[in-house]
Amino acid sequence: MSLSPQDKLSRSPLYRQLAELGAEFAEVSGTACAMSFGEDLEAEVEQANSLAICDLSALPRAGFKGREAQSWPAAQGLVISPDNNMSILQDDGSLVARLADSEVLILSDLACESGLCAAITEAWSPDPDPGVYPVPRADTNCWFMLSGSHADAMFAKICGVDLRPHKFPHLAIAQTSIARLNGIVIRADAGDTLAYHLLTDSASAGFIWTCLLDAMGEWGGVPVGLNALRTLDT
Amino acid sequence: MSAARLDAPAGTLIDRDQPVEFTFEGRRHGGFAGDTIASALMADGELVLSRSFKYHRPRGVLTGCGQDANSLVQVGDQTNVLADRRPIEAGMVVEAQNVFGGLENDYGSWLGFLARFMPVGFYYKAFYKPYSPWRLWEKLFRRLTGLGVVNPDAIHGYYDKQYLFADVAVIGGGPAGMAAALQAAKSGAEVLLIEENKTLGGALNYARFDADPKPAAKRRAELTAKIERTDNIRVLTDALCNGWFTDNWLPLFQGNRMFKLRAAAVIVATGSYEQPMVFRNNDLPGIMMGSAAQRMIHLYGVRPGKRAVVVAANSDGYGVALDLLDAGVDVACVVDPRPAAEPCERQSAVALRGVPVIHETVIAEAVATRGNRGVVGARIARITGEGTLAKTRDRFACDLITVSVGYHGTANLIHHARGAMRYDEAEAAFVIDKLPAHLFAAGSVNSAYSLEAALNDGHLAGWAAAKDAGFEAGRKPTAKAKGAGTMDGGASPNYPWPIFAHPDGKDFVDFDEDLQTADILNAIAEGYDNIELLKRFSTVGMGPSQGRHSSLPSVRIAAKATGRTINETGTTTSRPPVSAETFGHLAGRSFEPVRETALHHRHIEAGAKMMVAGQWMRPEYYGPAESRDANIRAEIMAVRENVGIIDVSTLGGIEVHGPDAAEFLNRIYTFAYIKQPVGRARYVLMTDQTGVITDDGVACRFRDNHFYVTATTGGAGAVYQTMLFYNAQWRLDVCVINSTASYAGVNIAGPKARDVLARLCDDVALDGEALPYMGVREGHVAGIPARIIRIGFVGELGYEIHVPSSQGEALWDALMDAGSEENILPFGIEAQRVLRLEKGHIIINQDTDGLTHPHEADMAWALARKKPYFVGMRSIAIQLANGLERKLVGFILVEPDDPAPKECHLVIRGTEITGRVTSCARSEILNKIIGLAYVAPDQSEIGKRFEIKIEQGRMITAEVVALPFYDPDGKRQEM
Repeated sequence: MSLSPQDKLSRSPLYRQLAELGAEFAEVSGTACAMSFGEDLEAEVEQANSLAICDLSALPRAGFKGREAQSWPAAQGLVISPDNNMSILQDDGSLVARLADSEVLILSDLACESGLCAAITEAWSPDPDPGVYPVPRADTNCWFMLSGSHADAMFAKICGVDLRPHKFPHLAIAQTSIARLNGIVIRADAGDTLAYHLLTDSASAGFIWTCLLDAMGEWGGVPVGLNALRTLDT
Repeated sequence: MSAARLDAPAGTLIDRDQPVEFTFEGRRHGGFAGDTIASALMADGELVLSRSFKYHRPRGVLTGCGQDANSLVQVGDQTNVLADRRPIEAGMVVEAQNVFGGLENDYGSWLGFLARFMPVGFYYKAFYKPYSPWRLWEKLFRRLTGLGVVNPDAIHGYYDKQYLFADVAVIGGGPAGMAAALQAAKSGAEVLLIEENKTLGGALNYARFDADPKPAAKRRAELTAKIERTDNIRVLTDALCNGWFTDNWLPLFQGNRMFKLRAAAVIVATGSYEQPMVFRNNDLPGIMMGSAAQRMIHLYGVRPGKRAVVVAANSDGYGVALDLLDAGVDVACVVDPRPAAEPCERQSAVALRGVPVIHETVIAEAVATRGNRGVVGARIARITGEGTLAKTRDRFACDLITVSVGYHGTANLIHHARGAMRYDEAEAAFVIDKLPAHLFAAGSVNSAYSLEAALNDGHLAGWAAAKDAGFEAGRKPTAKAKGAGTMDGGASPNYPWPIFAHPDGKDFVDFDEDLQTADILNAIAEGYDNIELLKRFSTVGMGPSQGRHSSLPSVRIAAKATGRTINETGTTTSRPPVSAETFGHLAGRSFEPVRETALHHRHIEAGAKMMVAGQWMRPEYYGPAESRDANIRAEIMAVRENVGIIDVSTLGGIEVHGPDAAEFLNRIYTFAYIKQPVGRARYVLMTDQTGVITDDGVACRFRDNHFYVTATTGGAGAVYQTMLFYNAQWRLDVCVINSTASYAGVNIAGPKARDVLARLCDDVALDGEALPYMGVREGHVAGIPARIIRIGFVGELGYEIHVPSSQGEALWDALMDAGSEENILPFGIEAQRVLRLEKGHIIINQDTDGLTHPHEADMAWALARKKPYFVGMRSIAIQLANGLERKLVGFILVEPDDPAPKECHLVIRGTEITGRVTSCARSEILNKIIGLAYVAPDQSEIGKRFEIKIEQGRMITAEVVALPFYDPDGKRQEM
């Protein structure tokens, strides 16, 4: 039976919209996450290969900002790109995005097996002053994955950056405007499927969700559950 | 099939297997899928499409491709639809615009008889004096003018936008454009080829380049096939490029979508506008450009008339004559204004078919049918000089006149890009003089008039654009001659003076504005002899056609009348858009970001009336609208006597970390923070460099090196940016993080607030000693990690609780549940406004304005005296030294039963305005009207009285009282 999002203290800002669409929820990292929309996983995987959106707001993420934003995480064992606006996949499947000299973003793997976000958050201490400070990404941003062969064309309806795969390489980052919201787009293909992470203001989650579904409609894009993405990713 | 329909292969765009019915002016008409409204009507024998703007003269097809305003009609709710571009659809309802009593019998046509009383610019000199009849004139003009009827209840269409990217964008899919695209693509560049019509080919689709029509069709097919085979050329047809903007940003309209294209290099291959000739009655239905007739024949399979007189000042005109003959039109004669010379191939072919060709002759006058609904004949005359004709006229019966006297380059985009044009006497046209970087031109817009010249020009432009975009373009194609002297027949295709004024007028220079030759000359005679003044006084070129056909003749007339050259006369500025664009296209999906707190749905479920507060939605009050005031009163009293809860998530939250955090706040805000103890909150007041108050909040010190600072709902973003701006200069060791959306916040306030909170909070002692007023703690509430701030904006015992926003809803639920025993009540913005007013707390941007400094607002207490610097410090000192001009005070009404003044009601002393009301409300707990107002400094003493002017000029008296109004000792908030 599906978990009710209101049974957990922590809730995705979109749980109502997902429930209305028939999402089946399960606990992921203390929050109810939409795992599927119906029984047909194969159909959802096929959808994810064409054009789909998945709410990843339940998954762990962390951010750090400050003058030591590169050195401190590296000292904790993270592998960080030497270039701004590039990310690197860690051995455990999590993704470390270098947003600027003074800021990194860490996204959990889709399977939520890595534990990196929790570990690094635990490792941080304010004393002595480390020169790097936590950014509450888990609540500042809502987080989506947009996947499928039409994903770049869909983005072109709401974003002025050229995200076409031959112009925007795997693991590249764009910090830009998405439907008039500040957003972070990271290309992170799931297996052979074109895919992008999108993080925007959590208070605007309802607005951006509506914009994305509207933009996706042209290609029949719809939400899929986390199970479908996990299948693509393996 | 109607008599005017031609058999296939004529009509390349129509599908004869799909008949379509529609109505025009209430009458049923039929056509085929692919027909435009104009072509279907012409096939049905309907020549009149519209009535002109001023004289309501009948108008018909002129260009046949949407380049003129004759074809503007209304389709359903859509106004100003181009009938010669809009395809017919089953059931479509088409109506004329700007008519009174119908298109057929438009009463407005009587205005034509009053033409002598309506000279150019007459409206500047009439109607404004005397003033009294103006109301009548205005009503009349609103009835008489305007194009189309807007339906304010029309359902919005679905429009959207999409970004596009290309290395090389080619605007125009004619021969030059296609050649350019193919050449550019050879280098590997991503090429986008944009064509405004449904198919590629441009003039290759309808024009007659040779005596034999087959080579053009073959060339078109070859080029199109090559393009289809080229993977790196993307073609957009039925797509209009409507402007050029900085850095090659181009808006393209296709259907209901606006593409926003950015290209490294742009090639303008937009062709030319064929030009009309000026003669008496040159505006009648049945008089059209030669290319219009060819479009009707070839694209839509419509014979445009039965018997034609063809005006041909270039070889293309003879091609028109050949096409008319092939379509079964009887060509009475060809009049060619040029002297006889060695005939071109097409002219010879015309002569071979027995059509008389009369040189050095033009049409002096078209003979109209009754009601000017068409043409019955043409009177021709020999040219005796520039613009002058012999008196003897020969008359030819005809129902169709085609005009081919030259072209005007479609150089709009080049003008937008600030390309330079100059008039070339040999070509008798404006030619490109200089192009800006990354912009190229090809084809007839670049003086390449013949087909071979256009193709060659396209290759050259494609090569250059690809190179410019950074690609290896290979060897440069060989340039061939173009321009005057290279056309078939050895001359420019542009006749230098196709203007033959008639003493009886109706010789139109501007069809849109019904401007005749005399109108232009009269405007110049009145002193408007500069082209910019001439345009604005006469309105030439200001109609929907935007000067496509009036610019060249009006410049020629103006140059001659003022004794200047055409280059000295110049042209007016061409700006985007190229063609009319809808608001729908510009709006697209209308992204208007809305921010909702984590508690938003709980407010809705509790029956809140939501209101917009900046980008956020906040509850104004709870309960039905009919009992709004009672609801708000109940919320206020709940806070004063019991316990209430309000969502404060929208207040900004900014983390300031680092060894210099306290120093940073000390400089940013007016108060003192270096010695602020850990575990305490302190008021923050922000001023800008001019000393004006811009924001406020509280700074909570959680650690020596960590402050959590709140801001106003509308100011959080600006506060964050201000902090980054200043620290970019100061380089203090701080890290500033905007965490506004990260936290959901509630303020639980009222005498029972502690009791409620204590049920949920195990790890933070809440009593007055452990957590005094303005204390801050970190702990847990209902198991949720929380920041607890003891604060009193509303003047009661209160706690702001900030939790991770993902857990905000859970917090709200827990507090509502814990407070159910006390009947905890959510309260909204309106209740909060009254509560804080009772405490005399100001609201930034309500009780302050763009000039308020702290001394005016009685906030001197928030200025630290001993610190060396804060932003705005010096300005505030200067303002104080200069003396106050006003002061914010609290007031009550002397007569308790007087109505409450509204915000911005003025404080009046004699004839002087000395201030205004900023906040005012009825206080239930105090049982009186209270408010804040700016008054003159000498009116600000406690007990002083002043006058407020309210509605209908009534004056009421207020008295200055001490603040706060309620609980002056602060005992209730500090318990």
